[in-house]
Amino acid sequence: MITTRKPRRDKDSQMPRKKRTCRFCDAKEIYIDYKDDKRLSRFVTEQGKIIPKRITGTCAKHQRQLVKAIKRARHLAMLPFVSDAIR
Amino acid sequence: MEHTRLYETTFIVNASLDDSQTDAVIGRVQDVIVKNGGAVNALTKWGRKRLAYPINKKTNGFYVNVEFTAPGPLLAPLERAFQLDEMILRFLILQVDKKALAARAKAQAAAAAPPPEAPPVPAREPLFKEGPADMKP
Repeated sequence: MITTRKPRRDKDSQMPRKKRTCRFCDAKEIYIDYKDDKRLSRFVTEQGKIIPKRITGTCAKHQRQLVKAIKRARHLAMLPFVSDAIR
Repeated sequence: MEHTRLYETTFIVNASLDDSQTDAVIGRVQDVIVKNGGAVNALTKWGRKRLAYPINKKTNGFYVNVEFTAPGPLLAPLERAFQLDEMILRFLILQVDKKALAARAKAQAAAAAPPPEAPPVPAREPLFKEGPADMKP
């Protein structure tokens, strides 16, 4: 008996992935400042947790810089470590 | 050989001090820098800000940012001075790294050169020379 395989569903043609670009790369930023708490707070949840890069679309290099900046800002009490989120 | 490097420190002073006392604290910090062979480049007071979490049971703090050049051996006495001063709640001393320097140089260059003006929209000729009364059905 010859078994034939079912052709795999071609994901690339059926569901093309959106290319999300890193907003820091678009703006050609070299340095993410820890003092800019307004901008850093956009990358942090209501609970104060750092948002993973697969959700924000940030590239790995900038995510590392971002995390460092957020942690410094937390040390200086510009961002909370934990904040109460309304459940 | 002692290099002088560019450093940046941000520290939080007790907010319940009045202006002269706060200035005295900042003056003490500057003294430590200068006495140990450093030079203060810039000093910015951010003023009173609400803290994200209470420090020593206080909810507000007076933030100060100082940029200075100093030789390496300055850092130990500076940190010690920060630790000992009871009016300073938190401090962070950083060396300004290459990326930050590059970003600053870029920002200065962008600020120095006047921002490019948007090219004026050329005045267009009116699309319709005649009014609607002239339009033929």
